[in-house]
Amino acid sequence: MLQFLVDALLRTADLALITLGLSMLYGLIRFPNIAHVQYAMCGAFLAYAINSAGAPLIVSVVLASILTGLLTLVIQLLVFDRLLKSGPAIAMIGSLAVSMVLVASVLGIAGSFPHMFSLPHTEPLIIGDARISHTQLWFVLTTLVLLTLFVLLLFHTQVGRAMRALACNPALADASGLNASRITNGVTFISGMLAGLGGSMLSLSTGAHVNLGYDLLLPVFAAAILGGLGNPIGAVAGAALIALTETAVTNINFGPLLGETLVFLPVSYISAASFLILLLALLFKPYGLFDREVRRV
Amino acid sequence: MYDFLIFTITIAGIYAIMALGLNVLAGYGGLLNFGHIAFAGIGVYATGIAHARGWPVLVGIPLGMIAAMILGWAMARLGRRLAADYWGIATLAVAEILRTVALNEDELTGGANGITGIPGLFESVASPWDQVYFSAVVLGIVAVTAFFSARLGDGRFGRALRLMREQPALAACMGYNLQKIKSHAIMCGGAITALAGSLYAHYFNFAGTEFMLAAETFVLWTMVMIGGMGRTAGVLLGVILVQAVYAFVPFLRDLLGFGSDVAGALRLGLIGAILLICLLWRREGLLPEKLRNPA
Repeated sequence: MLQFLVDALLRTADLALITLGLSMLYGLIRFPNIAHVQYAMCGAFLAYAINSAGAPLIVSVVLASILTGLLTLVIQLLVFDRLLKSGPAIAMIGSLAVSMVLVASVLGIAGSFPHMFSLPHTEPLIIGDARISHTQLWFVLTTLVLLTLFVLLLFHTQVGRAMRALACNPALADASGLNASRITNGVTFISGMLAGLGGSMLSLSTGAHVNLGYDLLLPVFAAAILGGLGNPIGAVAGAALIALTETAVTNINFGPLLGETLVFLPVSYISAASFLILLLALLFKPYGLFDREVRRV
Repeated sequence: MYDFLIFTITIAGIYAIMALGLNVLAGYGGLLNFGHIAFAGIGVYATGIAHARGWPVLVGIPLGMIAAMILGWAMARLGRRLAADYWGIATLAVAEILRTVALNEDELTGGANGITGIPGLFESVASPWDQVYFSAVVLGIVAVTAFFSARLGDGRFGRALRLMREQPALAACMGYNLQKIKSHAIMCGGAITALAGSLYAHYFNFAGTEFMLAAETFVLWTMVMIGGMGRTAGVLLGVILVQAVYAFVPFLRDLLGFGSDVAGALRLGLIGAILLICLLWRREGLLPEKLRNPA
């Protein structure tokens, strides 16, 4: 049972940072950026490259996330700002193109073979009957600290207030003298950094590989939509919910229901489980579980 | 060399049918379907399953088209309460769910091995000519589809779809049932694409999940976007351009001698770059849609 909770927590940590960035940015730019998960993939490869060039692990992860943040900002300024003038649909198709180009560049430079980090071998920690490796523990702790910092930033500082105001009512925020483009650029940078950090820390256990982004695409979007796109705190809750369901679907023994002793769903159905939640969410709560916005009926 | 040429023409023809299908709903109707390849997958598997069950194999074609129309109806229904971008993600999810199911239900679809040994359309004809006949049939279907899709686009239905794309409120005011025409557009585009999927299965004698990757949808989108959304000639031009890039990469590979990863990256990257450049500088495509002048 404890192992179940640990697995769910680890999966939440996988998804939370990337989902948070995606959702936060959506609040400001109002289109679902499909390339966002590819930023995480780029972060993973950057961390691997810096680490194999000889930098210590922590330095390479931090550097990789900063570089990913810059990359995100550059793409936003050069591509999406221009495409958004033609509407969100065009920007969304553009994000497909950007994600193709990013995957192609990484595939061309690094190849399709996964790159594993050379980490010192350590015994996993054993808590009760659950096992967790040191890197995973650090991953979860970093995620928790960052999420706490983020909540503090969003709800207890002037900058956070400006961000919320801009997401809520851009016209009014602009009229009140907030510098909209500076805030948007800042948020873009932060969300890219979070994606890079999430991706590089994820790759510590799975290795940096080209499909890292594609594998994250649907769970991350499911989590973000479930939490209500544009609602960062909801995004984290959505990530936790998706992680719980994925872990439950693969760990529950369906045998007794079907009159056999052991029936588990194949592992490849994990991704289908999160899509199914996504579809159900879109059918019954199309604006997320935590939608408080009032719409005219 | 001639084999390669005929192969390229046939594949381009099959993709042209799929792209024309996408054009009906995305070009005319402005619907963001990011799971369009699911329709082709249904066609592929309908033919495959018809063969595996020992039914006459041509039954697969109408079967696939009917199944695609049912899926299209369901997708349209899913979109009833959703904004366009949310619906786009939902269709992506539908396509991925179908792919996962196809990959895992071994009894129905052969799982990861797929269904092999699907007969071609001209089994009795001697070796080079069966390929030629097949490509002629494909080109014939492309011509018929292009003709009807152009007719459809200029007719009342196409004009209603365009009006819905540009001015949904006005279209509703004029008495069009938006949900109904949306659903008809998706069903129509889906059926056309399923036909192309069946041809694909006959051509490669194989049904598998490789045809259903999300990347294939993006390729279709690239074809429709760079050529010109909503215009039949534009879509055909886009198909030819993308296929030219695809046919060109193997030559470059032999010339420069790089590995298969780089070749794959080059294909994907070139398509992505072309799409991006086109979106940034020529958003309406190379052959823009001709809208009727109101005056």
